[in-house]
Amino acid sequence: MKDISLGQFYPADSFTHKMDPRAKLVLVIAFIVMAFLAKNFLSYFAVLICVVSATLVSRIPIMKVLKSIKAIIFILVFTGILNLLFYNGETVLWQWWRIKISVEGIIFSVKMVLRLVLLVMGTTLLTYTTTPTAITDGMESLMKPLKYIKVPVHDIAVIMSIALRFIPIISEEVDKIMMAQKARGAAFDNGGLLKRAKALLPVLIPLFVSAFRRAEELALALDARCYNATPNRTRYKVMKFTWRDLVGLLGTAAFIVLVVALNNNFWGAYASPASVWWLFSV
Amino acid sequence: MSMQGKDPENFTIGQNDANGETDCVTDVGTPLIKADGVTYSYRNGEQVSRGVTDVSLSINRGEFVVILGRNGSGKSTLAKLLNGFLVPDEGIVTVRGIDTADDDKIFEVRSVVGMVFQNPDNQMVASVIESDVAFGPENLGVPREEIEERITDALETVGMEKYRKGSPNKLSGGQKQRIAIAAILAMRPEVVILDESTAMLDPKGRREIMDTVLKLKREKGMAVVLITHYMDEAIAADRIHIMNDGGIIASGSPAEVFGNEDAVRRAGLELPVAAKISLDLKKAGLDIGFALTDEELAEEICALK
Ligand SMILES: Nc1ncnc2c1ncn2[C@@H]1O[C@H](COP(=O)(O)OP(=O)(O)OP(=O)(O)O)[C@@H](O)[C@H]1O
Ligand SMILES: [Mg+2]
Repeated sequence: MKDISLGQFYPADSFTHKMDPRAKLVLVIAFIVMAFLAKNFLSYFAVLICVVSATLVSRIPIMKVLKSIKAIIFILVFTGILNLLFYNGETVLWQWWRIKISVEGIIFSVKMVLRLVLLVMGTTLLTYTTTPTAITDGMESLMKPLKYIKVPVHDIAVIMSIALRFIPIISEEVDKIMMAQKARGAAFDNGGLLKRAKALLPVLIPLFVSAFRRAEELALALDARCYNATPNRTRYKVMKFTWRDLVGLLGTAAFIVLVVALNNNFWGAYASPASVWWLFSV
Repeated sequence: MSMQGKDPENFTIGQNDANGETDCVTDVGTPLIKADGVTYSYRNGEQVSRGVTDVSLSINRGEFVVILGRNGSGKSTLAKLLNGFLVPDEGIVTVRGIDTADDDKIFEVRSVVGMVFQNPDNQMVASVIESDVAFGPENLGVPREEIEERITDALETVGMEKYRKGSPNKLSGGQKQRIAIAAILAMRPEVVILDESTAMLDPKGRREIMDTVLKLKREKGMAVVLITHYMDEAIAADRIHIMNDGGIIASGSPAEVFGNEDAVRRAGLELPVAAKISLDLKKAGLDIGFALTDEELAEEICALK
């Protein structure tokens, strides 16, 4: 069985895996901005190239990435259809009551779906190449400046770390309790919604009781290990910004510039697009 | 060990080295922990429940002390008084001469008196073993290179060095509890209190913890306080205290304490099989000495006639 505390992490020895988690977090944010900047199909294509090359560099099998898209397929279909039917376009192809399919609507919904797909591909790349622990460490480090406005950055990081640590423990416990209740004849997977929710009650109550007991002992354990003993706490793990991170940042910056340029048809470099170009530049 | 006042800028604690040696010579010979006439009651609003009453004991350097007693006899309360989790209502607890009631030095107390609890799962804060072990020294502000060293040292002591980069999730109970001990050792305490740390483990896990505890005493010269209700874990102790109803009703070497039938019975304890047999044989009129272990019993029986 896979260790669920590792989340989606896909172990591999790649360029991206070796990058500083802080750089990766920044890159993901830059990527999200990039995906929202893209206006026409050409710039969308540039974003796609960016994600695909990042995926290749990360040595993540393409099937894995497609699987993460499958997870949001419902949202994709829903957004696509809604935009298609209700977009208020000029060139109407078909209309019935409030529902109207237009050329602009088609283009808009295709772009919308494309953007969502790109966003998911880009952001899951972070969770595929970085362990949750490393993400937490990276966030703590990036949020450090917030200390000056009295945000308890370190406490938040400890809370996240403990949460990650306890997810597998609690989920194991849920399994155990459910097993015990099943042995006493509880049924969790038949009956209506209400009945099933009711059946979960005997699982939730012991779960909460045990969670509080754990919290009590954990609080003592934190104290026993001198939590908050000194404001000058040291860090054992150090994150290093290396040439890889610089390459990643420069590459992403280049793509952002490209996207903006494509959005503006390179500021008139090809002022009258051929008919093929038209399709891409809408 | 030096404490540069209360100034948090110069707050360096837990820096004494591995052998439990310190550069503080004055308190050698005096007990590491000393409790004198300690009474503590829990108060929840109107309700008052007795924790411990008028308990006195001392823990010396390098000593292996076992505290036995039935559920609710006040063992955990006593343990929490020894590292400053609780402050006595009456009496005084000192750790290396520091009063545990002194709020400014509480972290020094806690870095000298390490505490390991019952459930290893509830003592870990990180999903990677080395990060978990690093947590204590990080909190104490130990420099990075030294943390590295301490992690290696602590994990080697408990025999878990090869799991260093791994996750604690898939380990056995005994292994997890050894990690919890390593996490305390990384703070370089002089005494470790284990509050029923073997209670949730299978016999193999218990064996692992007992081996680790004896190793701490022998190789590191550390003092260990083991709280348990398994009497067989008490055989190797230097000193045993039996608790009942919030007080210590018997103290002494294993032979002395187990021989004190009245105290053992009052505390509702089960003697180790060898001890029980030797006592019964004696009662039956045989001229047999007291035996703690199976080997001793065999010798005693062979020496008969
Ligand atoms: N947080 C608390 N609030 C109120 N009373 C408490 C609390 N903790 C312990 N007590 C009471 O103090 C007494 C001693 O409890 P303590 O936990 O020290 O016993 P113990 O010997 O550790 O028992 P066990 O073997 O069950 O761990 C008990 O009677 C208990 O009810
Ligand atoms: Mg207890």
